[in-house]
Amino acid sequence: MLRGSVGRGLAYGGIFIAAALVQSAWLVRLEIWGAVLDPLLPLVVAIGIFRGSEAGAVSGIAAGLLQDLLGGTTLGLYGLSKMVIGFAAGLFERSIYLEDPLLPAVAVFAATVAAETIVRLVVVIARLGPVPWPAVVPEILVQGALNGAVAPLAFRLVRTIEQRFQRR
Amino acid sequence: MTDLILARRRMVVFLALCVLLLGLLTTQARSPDRRLAGPLGTAILAVLAPVQTGMAVAAQSAADAWSRYLAIGRLRVENVRLRAEVEELSRQVGSLREEALATRRLERLLAVRRSLPGRTLAARVVARDSARWFSTILIDRGTRDGVRRNDPVVSADGVVGRVIEATATSARVLLISDSRSAVGVLIQRSRYAGVIEGKGGGTVQLNYLSRAADVQDGDVLVTSGLGGVFPKGLVVGTVMHIVREEGALVQTAVVQPAAPLDRLEEVLVIVGPR
Repeated sequence: MLRGSVGRGLAYGGIFIAAALVQSAWLVRLEIWGAVLDPLLPLVVAIGIFRGSEAGAVSGIAAGLLQDLLGGTTLGLYGLSKMVIGFAAGLFERSIYLEDPLLPAVAVFAATVAAETIVRLVVVIARLGPVPWPAVVPEILVQGALNGAVAPLAFRLVRTIEQRFQRR
Repeated sequence: MTDLILARRRMVVFLALCVLLLGLLTTQARSPDRRLAGPLGTAILAVLAPVQTGMAVAAQSAADAWSRYLAIGRLRVENVRLRAEVEELSRQVGSLREEALATRRLERLLAVRRSLPGRTLAARVVARDSARWFSTILIDRGTRDGVRRNDPVVSADGVVGRVIEATATSARVLLISDSRSAVGVLIQRSRYAGVIEGKGGGTVQLNYLSRAADVQDGDVLVTSGLGGVFPKGLVVGTVMHIVREEGALVQTAVVQPAAPLDRLEEVLVIVGPR
């Protein structure tokens, strides 16, 4: 059981590190209308839905802090937003029909909108910088669409990991 | 009951994590650069930053290569466009050069026209007689313009020939180099008379010049006005080489026609009373 948890943790850690590196080194160059694909968010949502709120929150913190660390943003900014999203996704644990690729996509779209809104609100409240809301809204929607597009892949990956470590 | 405990535990964990992160954010927001990685963050960065840098460099190289590829495509398109532009401009330059040369020739023709007696008509050479090499030409003026048989034809440089047949819109001109042509001339310097006859192949010969006549290489020959065709005083050519045969009563000379008979493009026809 312990070996399964450690293995699962290492697997998710490795995937988070790889995703955060890919995002900070490569995906930031592929802006679409100001939006950048965030592969960590679909993973956090998927973990939350598969494993519940606590695991979702913890994986959200880990992924968010890693993103903050590698992306150069204030530490805790994405950590907080992803933790909230991971926790919230856990409230829908096993309630989304995962065989349908549309539902994970819609869930991740909604999660992206919520997560990015939280980030902007924290930026405003903590006075970390200005937020041009009229420009931000379409950017968030595009990012939601991008993240939603990769959601089925993220869900499949998380399910594969879960199934592999469940067997042991 | 168990569900309630689990839900409460879940909320406690959530709130604890929120407090933890808000505390971290507050610390960060208060720091001078709004970012304080700390020892753990620095340690993680020490491991991941080289990987991140390597990936970024690879991405930059790929982006540069892609930019170069796109630039090559753009340059190729631009090259095709510029080549077409160069061809078009070269064609325009050629056309303008041709027009400038024509204008110069016409200006010279106009200057000659003022010095000629009677009415003159400018005509364009439209064809050459290929059967009799450079010996007749066709011009685009005819009887409708007042051109008649035996009208003299000149260029800006000198005598060209005379009209031998005319239709309503064109006329055929017998060049002075044609073997059927004979024009009475004077040596401009010594005023001795002779006859210019065509020898074919673009050359003419001065005949019937008395042995006593004073003639030298380079002497200019002008029309004598005695034949009734050409007005007096038109330049015909230049003596190139004098031939004096032993015992002969006359001497002859090879003459270079003043008009470029093989390169005529515009000519003047002297029409009406002369």
